[in-house]
Amino acid sequence: MGSVVARNRVSVSGVPGGRPLVFSHGFGCDQTLWRLVAPCFADDHRVVLFDHVGSGQSDLSAYDPDKYGSLAGYANDVVEICQELGLSDVVFVGHSVSAMIGVLAYHRAPELFGALVMVGPSPRYVDDVGYVGGFSRADIADLLDALDSNHLGWSAQMAPVIMGNPDRPELAAELTNSFCRTAPDIARQFARVTFLSDNRADLQGIEVPTLVLQCSEDPIAPSPVGEYVHRQIPGSELVRLRATGHVPQLSAPEETTAAIRAFLTP
Amino acid sequence: MTGRSDAPPPGPDDGSDAPRSDPEASSRLARLLEGDPADLYENAPMGYLSTLPDGRIVKVNRTFCAWTGRAPGDLLGTRLQELLTVGGRVFHETHIVPLLRMQGAVREIAIDITRIDGSLLACLLNAVELRDDDGTPLLIRATLFEATARRRYERELLAAQRLAEESEARSRVVQKVVFDLAAATTPEDVATVIVQRGRAAMKARGAALVLVEGEADDPRGVPQLRPVRSDGLSAGLLRRLREAAGSRLALELVQGLRSIVLDARLRADQPDLAAAMVADGVTDLVVVPVSADSKRLGVLVLARGAPGRGDLISLDEPGSSRPPSPAEVDLLWTLGRQAGQALERVRLHEQTRLQGERAAFLLEAARLMADADDVSETVQRLAGLVASRLATVCAIELVTEQGLTRAVARHRDGARQPLLDRLRAKDALLRSPLHPAVRALREGRTQWMRDREEVRAVVDAVAVDDEFRDLAEQLELTATVSVPMVVDGRRLGVMTFAGDRQRPLTAADVEVAEQLALQLSQVLDKAQRFELEERTSHTLQASLLPPSPPDVPGLDTAVRYVAATHGVDVGGDFYDLVRLPGEQVSLVVGDVVGHDITAAATMGQLRTVIRAMSADGPPPAVLVDRLQRSWGLYELQRMATALFATLDPATGGLRIASAGHLPPVLCGSGRAEYLPVRPTRMLGAPPVPAEEWAGELPVGATLLLFTDGLVESTGADIDTGLDRLLEVAAKACAGDPGELCDRLLEELTGDHRADDIALLALTRR
Repeated sequence: MGSVVARNRVSVSGVPGGRPLVFSHGFGCDQTLWRLVAPCFADDHRVVLFDHVGSGQSDLSAYDPDKYGSLAGYANDVVEICQELGLSDVVFVGHSVSAMIGVLAYHRAPELFGALVMVGPSPRYVDDVGYVGGFSRADIADLLDALDSNHLGWSAQMAPVIMGNPDRPELAAELTNSFCRTAPDIARQFARVTFLSDNRADLQGIEVPTLVLQCSEDPIAPSPVGEYVHRQIPGSELVRLRATGHVPQLSAPEETTAAIRAFLTP
Repeated sequence: MTGRSDAPPPGPDDGSDAPRSDPEASSRLARLLEGDPADLYENAPMGYLSTLPDGRIVKVNRTFCAWTGRAPGDLLGTRLQELLTVGGRVFHETHIVPLLRMQGAVREIAIDITRIDGSLLACLLNAVELRDDDGTPLLIRATLFEATARRRYERELLAAQRLAEESEARSRVVQKVVFDLAAATTPEDVATVIVQRGRAAMKARGAALVLVEGEADDPRGVPQLRPVRSDGLSAGLLRRLREAAGSRLALELVQGLRSIVLDARLRADQPDLAAAMVADGVTDLVVVPVSADSKRLGVLVLARGAPGRGDLISLDEPGSSRPPSPAEVDLLWTLGRQAGQALERVRLHEQTRLQGERAAFLLEAARLMADADDVSETVQRLAGLVASRLATVCAIELVTEQGLTRAVARHRDGARQPLLDRLRAKDALLRSPLHPAVRALREGRTQWMRDREEVRAVVDAVAVDDEFRDLAEQLELTATVSVPMVVDGRRLGVMTFAGDRQRPLTAADVEVAEQLALQLSQVLDKAQRFELEERTSHTLQASLLPPSPPDVPGLDTAVRYVAATHGVDVGGDFYDLVRLPGEQVSLVVGDVVGHDITAAATMGQLRTVIRAMSADGPPPAVLVDRLQRSWGLYELQRMATALFATLDPATGGLRIASAGHLPPVLCGSGRAEYLPVRPTRMLGAPPVPAEEWAGELPVGATLLLFTDGLVESTGADIDTGLDRLLEVAAKACAGDPGELCDRLLEELTGDHRADDIALLALTRR
């Protein structure tokens, strides 16, 4: 029971009988990324937020490198959360890599899901023959390096503070970069899984209404990728946001909220 | 530098005096400190940037421009992200943007700025977000510190940490392998561990463990290779690998760790293998020797290539193959050695287990042979036992009047039994002198065909037609061993074991076959002697008894003779019924002492004598006396008991005399009793006058004469048997003497009769 809730630090708010909206954060930070968007749905929906295992305040002891060595491990958790909460007709809102986690969860238990919202999705970041993902292999290697550089800083500066002073919580409170904090080895593997997965084939067979939100000038999931996703899912809706960057739920929460609401309103 | 070591170095301007003492210097310092804040901004020893929330640079200091080699005009309007590396850009989007938005500041973010010449400036970035009263972001202020040395140091630290982690990961792999191998009890277990762990450690697409069959160092030639376990390899690639390995690669494969790269040379040398690799998306095969001490046991083959569906994309460019790193080579060698040692251990263990199994098998076979009743059943069951427990095929040929004849041929796999049966039908009579069974029998020596080629050659030599050859081929036998069964120079038959890939024949199996053949030959010998004797004695006895009693008006008669169930023993029980002149009948039931041919022969003679003496219709007591007195004349070798009676069917007049025999039963109307006939001595004992009982057989009543086999059932004494006889007779006596006899036999005797039984019953109508 509750182990899933604790493992993924699941929080539920909104209207108990409302249609469930499950917000799933992407690579980098945690569920607080939805802070400006999720509450807007609390009046007429059941709002579910959670952290992927290894991120935010999830149970780090539940991190199993084999299980989370592919997106399927994360997708299993999504299914478990929905089952644990007894949800159905779920609107799954996945940001970035979580859009694909949602797709995998949908294939695993299609009966749970009523709609998919993909915010800045990419089924494959690495360019391939006849496919533009936006990154070369060398880019991804560089990215993994960049992450390492920062996580080294994290581990060198922060780890002793956290580990050595569990009885002085004020030190933990002083941590900078806190809610994007992740143990370095977990972050590295999550980055690999995120940027080295190829989920193009999984886009086939999605039979629920799907919304693709594409930002302007998104350096991570550029427009051709969003268009590709839209093309591969027949009947899907593609909405181009004026918001720039990759995190419209922070940079343009009103626009993001409005697009989701418009999609959900019949 | 020379001069006064205690003096301060010369100042930038003119003096060496302390600034405090120089008012001009003080005012200069004050000027500097109060100087133009714009100058501090522009020339501070750090980069200053202000950007809009979307990253567009709206203000930048000179230091940053100088560091990056870019003019302020170039930078203004440019997004900060555009100055970052690809990795930095992603980090910016996934970490810096959210952090600034959520907590308003970031600190000590490691970031590389691209200079105008393309080189990188390693920096640490701090930033704050300025917001209006509603919390709407207005501006981001960032400071950048150059951190080249620090970042280099961190990178070195990271690299060292990586190496340590990799080394630790390899140690963990070895530890896991050692742990898993400790639990392995079969070569298949070892193969599973090594294939799965090796594959995972090398992130290979597939892996297989291929073991050398037999002895790798066999000087006879190229060893056979057998894939024991494979994982993630297509059947096609596995087959090509085997074919390639089976030829000249076989020895090369086991000589050292090597990588077989899918290149032009391989395409030319091994086009089939290369094609299979292409089809599977395999770019190279890493071949790891598996050895124990200096013994080469086989190879672990790891197929590397582009990741399959569901795997992560490789950072290696597609189609490129990277030779295993020295650390990986080291790991693989270790895995190979660990696997080799584990294989040796399980092989030893397996041998011990097999020895135990063979001993248990021989014991079971001995028990089976001791319990079995007849030869054909023994042979059938033994072949079944061998096929289920020891060899793939067991065939037994026996020498019969027609020559060497197949008695049985059993295959372990029921699905293949029909193949064997068809083959067997084709050479039911083994005629070819080259047939291993025939040779074994002729030469009196075990014939062992050790491999498939030898088996094939023999099949070709003895094949009666193409179908025979075809059937033999389909059985896929890899070895046969034929052991002759000879006792005292008499050739009894041949026992043949055959093995296939799943169950090859070893020298130990040959030994078991020889022991089993020896055991069976003794059983066959004993059975053949026994059968001969049994057949003879039973034939003799059957010929000595009257075929069926004559019809007598006014009487219903029945006779039964039942042989003992066990052994060749034949009894001397007899009965006779003779019509005498004057409507009388003479009855006799007797039992010659002993259970052998002599007893049977004596019985035959005695019956003849009794018939001769009965010719003039003497009363029974007279007949007994005559026999007693003249016994010596007949030179009969055994004594006998007998019951004699005469009956007048018209009147029921009945006279009975007994020479040491059990009394007869009179039954009818639901009652049964023994007639009180007083026995005299048995025939052949010193004569004593016989007494005669006289009475009447009422109409509808039945008289039963019997021998002791009927009442001497196993385990009970004779009195109990006699009581039981009366009980059954009382119930079963209903005017049908045949039915009475059958009921008595059914209820008084079991499946096993230790003695013969003769019955004579008659009912007066």
